[in-house]
Amino acid sequence: MPTNKMLLTHLIRGTKQGCRILLALFLFSGLSACANLGVEPWERDLLATKEMALNASPVDAALDDHIYFSKEASSGGKSFGGGGCGCN
Amino acid sequence: MTELKNKKHTNVQAALSIAAGALLGTGAVSEQAKAQSFDDWKIDSAFLFYSEADRVSAAEAIISATKLYDNDEILNLKFTADTLTGASANGAIVQPQAQTFTRPSGIGQYITQAGETPLDDTFKDTRVQLNAQWTQPIAENYTGSVGGHLSKEYDYLSLGINANLAVDFYKKNSTLSFGFSHFQDTFTPEGGIPKPHASMLIGDSDSPTWDEAFSATRIANSDDKQTTDLLLGFTQVINRRMITQFNYSYSKVQGYLTDPFKIVSVLDSQGVAQDYIYEQRPNKRNKQSSFAQTKYHFPASLANSILDLSYRYMWDDWQIKSHTLDTRLYIPVADIFGENSYIQPHVRFYQQGAAEFYQPYTSTEDIQQEPLKYVSADYRIGEMTAITLGAKYGFNLDNGNDFSIRLEYYQQTPTNAGFEEPSALSTLTVYPIVQAVILQVSYSFL
Amino acid sequence: MNRAFNINAQQQGYKITFFAMASPCEVLVQSNDLVLINRLADKVTDEVWRIEDKYSRYKKDSVCSLMNNSAGRSITIDNESFLLLNFAKQCYQLSEGLFDITSGVLNRVWCFDGSDNIASHQQIEPLLPLIGLDKVCYQQNSITVPKGMSLDFGGIAKEYAVDRCIILAKAITKCPILVNLGGDLAVTGPRRENQPWQVAIEALESTDECFDNKDMIVTLFEGALATSGDSKRYLYKDGKRYSHVLNPITGWPIEQAPRSITVLSPQCIQAGMLATMALLQGRGAEAFLAEQEITYWLRKS
Repeated sequence: MPTNKMLLTHLIRGTKQGCRILLALFLFSGLSACANLGVEPWERDLLATKEMALNASPVDAALDDHIYFSKEASSGGKSFGGGGCGCN
Repeated sequence: MTELKNKKHTNVQAALSIAAGALLGTGAVSEQAKAQSFDDWKIDSAFLFYSEADRVSAAEAIISATKLYDNDEILNLKFTADTLTGASANGAIVQPQAQTFTRPSGIGQYITQAGETPLDDTFKDTRVQLNAQWTQPIAENYTGSVGGHLSKEYDYLSLGINANLAVDFYKKNSTLSFGFSHFQDTFTPEGGIPKPHASMLIGDSDSPTWDEAFSATRIANSDDKQTTDLLLGFTQVINRRMITQFNYSYSKVQGYLTDPFKIVSVLDSQGVAQDYIYEQRPNKRNKQSSFAQTKYHFPASLANSILDLSYRYMWDDWQIKSHTLDTRLYIPVADIFGENSYIQPHVRFYQQGAAEFYQPYTSTEDIQQEPLKYVSADYRIGEMTAITLGAKYGFNLDNGNDFSIRLEYYQQTPTNAGFEEPSALSTLTVYPIVQAVILQVSYSFL
Repeated sequence: MNRAFNINAQQQGYKITFFAMASPCEVLVQSNDLVLINRLADKVTDEVWRIEDKYSRYKKDSVCSLMNNSAGRSITIDNESFLLLNFAKQCYQLSEGLFDITSGVLNRVWCFDGSDNIASHQQIEPLLPLIGLDKVCYQQNSITVPKGMSLDFGGIAKEYAVDRCIILAKAITKCPILVNLGGDLAVTGPRRENQPWQVAIEALESTDECFDNKDMIVTLFEGALATSGDSKRYLYKDGKRYSHVLNPITGWPIEQAPRSITVLSPQCIQAGMLATMALLQGRGAEAFLAEQEITYWLRKS
């Protein structure tokens, strides 16, 4: 379907005018049998952020693991407990 | 009639949403991959400083480089270096009089003053570690990962491999993962491996008979240890705001699990130290743990904050049981500190029971009555609680670079697991509190 | 073809301009970090030109041309093409055959140049068997386009490129960005301090007296805008105006279609498709739009 679009120009203005939230809402209930668990692909907006990742800060986790591995009798659980250093 | 019509049209719009979502790959794995799609290396770096009051300090630096290839293959290389200095509890119990100990190397002695917890102040170590991890899709919904590990310090070498397989199903809302890792460690402590239960030789290390007498307390120059871990994980997306994970892990450790630097005080009936013997732990340990984690994204009315809550229960055949509760709250604070900044308070609570062979000391009587098999006075396998309180502040720059600083307070409170205290110890602190401060600075860039 | 971009400072940030898919394109970035702007310009233009090269039916070595010149043989396709075909197929089904990427063959007999050159039934009839996406067989990694048929991704490629650019831009930075490819546009989110983007949809210079010549100002916080329709391309005969929008089932122009429709949706590809599908409803366009849970703007002929 060939569609030549209108030309647009954009005005960037810093106005604080009353605003309408223009987003369409996804009205979609009774989607699947398991509708109460899990999401559809387009509902992953929040889950896809890096802060929502289960291991959001792998470097912090590695440093913490090292501290607690050397100071306590437990290790691992979240990922491999492992050996790795003579600190224990 | 109108209702029917409306329903039909709502379906056109909603069906287009699904179609657009599928086209643009807003599915679980692909979205995550695309959200961090980059051609260049992404570098995460961090520097951590750990300092205990009157005991050890450690400085650790990590540089982690990640590259994502076009076909969702991910290469991660990580370099870690740390250095440790300071004093560490040697296992001996506090006494009302000064105590003299021989250094692990056998060369020289150190004295602990009356009423103070014996600390060996010769700890000094530098470690470098290299990790490499390769992750790639194997087939539709299957992701595989393999990695290698090398850690070297002055007296310790650790080599490791790992492999992981993740299977997504139910529109990638559920993920099942299987992991395996194996570590091969070799320990070559300065002064060699002490003979279990041998008395610590104390005296003049310059005397001509010293070397021979000292080597009689040694059985080898080095020993090794193998660790095999199995991890079974299940991740489930609950809804748009919530995700959970459950892990079960099994760890089998074999070989030299004793700490060659740790000793146990032998007390007489009044509680006065008569001797110090080298500890011994079993040469096997089977650990299991169950871990559950959930993350919840609050709505805008609660500042879009994210709660991260996890709990781990660990148990092993040394009869150690532990509970770990960890919680973080990620709070965007853009309005207060500027665009894209956040603070993240952190609280961790840890409680462990003692290993069955842990005892804060042994007695001359006990040694004579029944020969000891396993014994250790290392407070780290005794009963204790620990708490961590901290906060992290960070901000994202426009170009995606990320800076953060983290300050935490960590306190260990060893407790008496039901051992009676002889009279000589009654006014002394047998289970001293350990306090530490952790400061970390991180910077991520492309 | 000129494959270069320009970067110009603006009141609050920078504007990257380039030319792609037969249209002027621009990317507005609300940041003063020139390293970032250059990086964004590289990524965005690479992506748009990549999609153009891959799916243009005018380029000899494009994937689209490869499919169209396959003479009925099965050829291999990659995952992106498979996903695009899936999307087109779903739109075909949702519109009950009105949106059809195989309808391009009708352009052989219809030429909307403002003349009175109306196609004849004799010309149209032999083409109809060559139309119908359901006749095209494709799977995860292969496609068979029957001999004589051809595919045209022109109706979805630009909107798809807009959405891809937004995904890429979001991966690089959190600062506010607007991507506009010849009128189909999307933003990564509101501007700084939660300010909306002000987008003016400029009225075309029109020879039509009854045409309302005012700009439409749209306040945009999130999502995408796409427009379908064009008042310049039509035929006029015996007092009847024939729009360039063709019904692929009959081979004849859709009657009484609005001049143009602009739709707001979370994603550009969705907005574009809703606008196009509405246009294909002809006189029923407004009713179709009104019954959707969407915001739209419509210009009547």
